[in-house]
Amino acid sequence: MNNPITMLGDGFAHVLSGGAIFHAFWAVLIGIVVGALPGLTATMGVALLTTLTFTMGPQVAMLVLVCVYVGAIYGGSRSAILLNIPGTPASAASTLDGFPLAKQGLAGRAMGISTLGSWFGTLFGTLILAMFAPSFGEFALQFGSYEMFWVALFGIVIAGSLSGGDPLKGYIAGFIGLLAATVGQETNHAFPRFAFGNADLAGGLGLLPVLVGVFGVAEVLNAMRGPAVKAVSAKIDSVIPRIRDVTQYWRTILRSGALGTFIGAMPGLGEDIAAWTSYAAAKRASKERDLFGKGSVEGLMAAETGESACVPGAIIPVLTLAVPGSAPAAVLMAAMMIHGLNPGPMLAITAPEFIYQIVAMLVVADMVKLVYGLVLVKPLLWVLLIPRSRLMPIVFTLCTVGAFAITSRLFDIWVMLGAGLVGFILRELRFPMAPLVLGIVLGELLDKNLLRGLVLTGGDISPFFTRPISMALCVLTLLAVAWAIPGLVPRVVGVFRRRPA
Amino acid sequence: MSGSSDREPLPPRVDLATAAVLLALGLGVMALAWRMPTFVEQSGTGLTAPGIVPGFHATVLAVLSVLLGLRAIRRGALKPGASQSRAWSREDARQLGTAALLGVLYAGVLVGRVPFWMATSLFVFAFTAAFEWPAGPVGRVRRLVEAAVLGLATGGIVTLVFERIFLVRLP
Repeated sequence: MNNPITMLGDGFAHVLSGGAIFHAFWAVLIGIVVGALPGLTATMGVALLTTLTFTMGPQVAMLVLVCVYVGAIYGGSRSAILLNIPGTPASAASTLDGFPLAKQGLAGRAMGISTLGSWFGTLFGTLILAMFAPSFGEFALQFGSYEMFWVALFGIVIAGSLSGGDPLKGYIAGFIGLLAATVGQETNHAFPRFAFGNADLAGGLGLLPVLVGVFGVAEVLNAMRGPAVKAVSAKIDSVIPRIRDVTQYWRTILRSGALGTFIGAMPGLGEDIAAWTSYAAAKRASKERDLFGKGSVEGLMAAETGESACVPGAIIPVLTLAVPGSAPAAVLMAAMMIHGLNPGPMLAITAPEFIYQIVAMLVVADMVKLVYGLVLVKPLLWVLLIPRSRLMPIVFTLCTVGAFAITSRLFDIWVMLGAGLVGFILRELRFPMAPLVLGIVLGELLDKNLLRGLVLTGGDISPFFTRPISMALCVLTLLAVAWAIPGLVPRVVGVFRRRPA
Repeated sequence: MSGSSDREPLPPRVDLATAAVLLALGLGVMALAWRMPTFVEQSGTGLTAPGIVPGFHATVLAVLSVLLGLRAIRRGALKPGASQSRAWSREDARQLGTAALLGVLYAGVLVGRVPFWMATSLFVFAFTAAFEWPAGPVGRVRRLVEAAVLGLATGGIVTLVFERIFLVRLP
């Protein structure tokens, strides 16, 4: 019964029953379109589609959302190649070589490479998820409140340190997110924090309205300024990938897949970091590094493989620790909670089969993505030409529906508007969004586990530092902070180097 | 996920002002957290008081904002001429203001007061018309008609798809 192969087979049988292929086809298509359109991100796509899945069963809902996630991350490469504008931040690295290839009249070949790279990446990451998530989930069963507190804090710190840009602003964004999550009744004494007598505020800020605001409304505002994007090359050569591109760069594919999956599994880093890291690693190891940035097949392959491998990677900590590896994974996790699937360590006991069902969903999404990658080229060109003045009001409408639908409160629409405004201002002030989202998502986890830990020990804080796993996580958190302090690491290394002399 | 981190850095004075606002936020939340009840009688320990966690977050936020402010000063925020900030262009500000105003009018005022399909149709029409108006008088009537059709289609289709097919309640 608990044989992984049998469970994987059961997972596929379960996922493929009940019109799953139909759902996979439309959901991946929506994902690709959302990802391809500049201004619409994978996070926004998953958040908006969550609304549509309210009345679906949990399995179908998860399949739809996984398909949107996989499709959107891949879809971003279309506009990266054809417009030199990444459809999602994850595809930024793909512009470096994708667009030069398109300018050389090889847009079709570039899209074929991105399709293959992305397909291999997701498949690789899914394989790692299938191999390691169940055993890591069982290991995570040893995590108590003390450990989960550190996991949440580590997530904020690592996202702040590494999510790009300024670590100090990353930490601030993370703590603003954590603060936002404290609004409403707390679990121990049911005291309404920061409610000011308002019953709606006492219920807390809904996760979905906040995420829709930060990633939907803020994106709409951001997309509506500056000059509109102009024309796309209408000439596309063959998109059928060449076998030689795979055989020649198999090392790059494997390296990028491993890096992408690993970065995905780190809390809050996400697909863009995975793509940049894979690209940089490929450039360092390449024999043809001079071609990078001028239309390198290897560079494009590395970026696409890395970002797509990150998707299953980002789901690993969702399933095992209830800590998202990326922003879209954070929304996916919120959707799992809405559908009554409680991700985290207990999943290995309550629903061990769910991990294999997710594996099956990822594989189905990846296969459908491959089909679309080969046939959906010309129609997507047409979609890319929709003017923003006609697209963005529709997106805003969907945001409003998405924010309202979960609890049918008009208050949630105001929360969405407020979060959108705050998100937009923070973006303008160069605060990264990843730690903010992670703070909002992990706030409750941190709060609940800190207070539960203190209740269990009668107020003694020592178990937070003395239990072996807690201690290790505490050290990791401190190291992540130290890593981000400018000049500290070289100074410490220098001290150790001088000592022997 | 970082999204915006790859743009040009902000002038240090903007960071200093941001730090001041964040410090005020941090101190304000600390004060509110301090005034929350402690429930010592129920829990036996004040460490489970509702204000502990937000107080901790607010303290960290205040400390980080001080660091941000100090860094901004070190980078020359107080030097004369440091205020030459990259303001939005007039066109950017107009576009942003229009989008924000129409969004608030739609989501904050119209939705919930008039039928959803009507609110959506009006919003989509107004938004499209407002942003396509500056394209000039040539073809304006056609663009306005297209905007009206788009509005009606969006209102109708969104209502149909969400309410009838996916059974989602609309405002």
